[in-house]
Amino acid sequence: MNRHGKTSAGIVRRLLRRNVSAVQIIGYAFASLVGLTIVLTAIQFYLDASGVFTSRDAGALQRDYLVVSKQIGLTDRTTGFTDEEIADLAAQPWVNATGAFTASRFKAAIGVDFAGRGMSTETFFESIPDQFFDQLPTDWYFDTSLGEAGDVPIVLSRDYLALYNFGFASTRGLPTLRESEISKIPLTVAIRGYDGHTVRMRGHVAGFSSRINTIAVPEDFMAWANARFGTPGGDTAPSRLVLEVNTPGDPAIAQYMRRHSLDIAGDKMDNGTAAYFLRVVTGVVIAVGAVISLLSFFILMLSIFLLLQKNRGKLQRLMLLGYSPDDVARPYITLILTVNATVLVLSCAVAWGASAMWSDALRTIGAEPASPATAFATGFIVMGAVSAINIVSVRRRMRKDFR
Amino acid sequence: MITEITLSGVLPAVFAGMAGEEPMCNSQVWLHDVRLQRGRRYIIHAESGTGKSSLCSFIYGNRRDYSGTILFDGIDIRTLGINGWCDVRRSAIALLPQEMRLFPELTVMENIELKNSLTGFRSSDEIHRMLAELEIENKADTPAGLLSIGQQQRVALVRTLCQPFDFVLLDEPVSHLDVRNNAIAAEMVQREADKQGAAIIATSVGNHLSLTDYTSIKL
Repeated sequence: MNRHGKTSAGIVRRLLRRNVSAVQIIGYAFASLVGLTIVLTAIQFYLDASGVFTSRDAGALQRDYLVVSKQIGLTDRTTGFTDEEIADLAAQPWVNATGAFTASRFKAAIGVDFAGRGMSTETFFESIPDQFFDQLPTDWYFDTSLGEAGDVPIVLSRDYLALYNFGFASTRGLPTLRESEISKIPLTVAIRGYDGHTVRMRGHVAGFSSRINTIAVPEDFMAWANARFGTPGGDTAPSRLVLEVNTPGDPAIAQYMRRHSLDIAGDKMDNGTAAYFLRVVTGVVIAVGAVISLLSFFILMLSIFLLLQKNRGKLQRLMLLGYSPDDVARPYITLILTVNATVLVLSCAVAWGASAMWSDALRTIGAEPASPATAFATGFIVMGAVSAINIVSVRRRMRKDFR
Repeated sequence: MITEITLSGVLPAVFAGMAGEEPMCNSQVWLHDVRLQRGRRYIIHAESGTGKSSLCSFIYGNRRDYSGTILFDGIDIRTLGINGWCDVRRSAIALLPQEMRLFPELTVMENIELKNSLTGFRSSDEIHRMLAELEIENKADTPAGLLSIGQQQRVALVRTLCQPFDFVLLDEPVSHLDVRNNAIAAEMVQREADKQGAAIIATSVGNHLSLTDYTSIKL
């Protein structure tokens, strides 16, 4: 750029902007603003609202866990899943992983010494592969080398704790318990083998699960205990399976369950259906926004090409004076970048503002609003791509018109 | 720097197949080998419609509808790219087109600045002196569209001289100037060309630029 560069750019800009139609540019800016705002607001809403359907341990919406069992009829003798049935489930496109519940094949009781009063209850145990736990306790292992002298960690369903605190303890005058307190209570795990031999082992509540509705012990312990105390030749087919699904709420899941007479524990499918519905609705809204954005993009391209057509004579005269195609394209590129940057900033501001409006409502139903970074980044990428296409088209057009 | 422009068997596409007819048969340019050298002065004279403006456009690179070859120091100008032509137009060849191509909505000064700011070749004072010499300095802030054709011709001449050049192509530069103004313009062009050791190539249909010591070529 020479010492007069600035003056030259100024005159060129004034010369070429003379035919710029403010109405066309405002029309584009408005259409683009509406389109991009819809897209960004929909993305922000989706991210914010996702929290509502995501229980604290289920992970992101894209992943959820279902516990399935066979529907029990009056005449059914076995409710276990066969290997073929498990393989068929695992082969479904919406299943990421399957895990079997292994049931104890021995009798067990858990005892506790409560303020001098001994209390014991018959119980059962189940185990599932570690990967299906929401939060794996740090001491989630059983040292089989210690055998009967070992300590048995137990994970309880949160529902059981609620049942005790709000149903049992309050009516019996017993103290209510917090999760952290329960872990400190030493338990006695009494196991009676098929031969009537009983052993007493130490145990403790290692944690709670919202996902797994059972009394769970580590798989190592279950394998050891079943081998040692279990009824030989007993039924080993799992009666419940835990599935990691990638599209919770997918109607295909419900159809499969109906067809194979399977039950899903809890209201996971309801959450899943709502989440699925949210995804579909958001998808539709984003698509509408994208169509408006696309149309506005064409409006801009059309306006600019109209403008270039109107200014073609001037542009060619400038190039005959020695101006390069890039020199004469610059005022148009500056215009495009200014308009697109303004649209981007306004769209992000509106999406953010909208998010602030509904965030309080979402907080009251337990969802923490998501960071606006994803929506902003999407806007930046969309506008970056639109601007890049605009600029390349304008430059190409100028080079084509070079004489 | 370009020291020589060579035309070799050049013929405008519009005259294809008319080699034996007027005006082709008497032309010293079309279908001939012509060498135009830096430092020399040429008047190319011809009747209307024989291709003077086409010749200027071919050499300036804004038209390619011809057969034969034009070389800048042995390099075929058809091989020059966009950047090459931009360099040539900023620093090697200056053109005053017959239709002048001023921007009527810009003032005289703005029209000249449009070129001068690209090359940074002259100071504002120099430009004002040149306008004064051509007796149009009082029009400096007038939109070019309001000037007479003769005045526009003088503005376009100043703009043409606002760059370094090896060749200055003047397409009927004084067609609307009287004898006195023709002499002033010729004096200015010769002075500026001599300063740079450049060649002058001026076309004419009758009223030609009052150059001294020039080679006459019939188109």
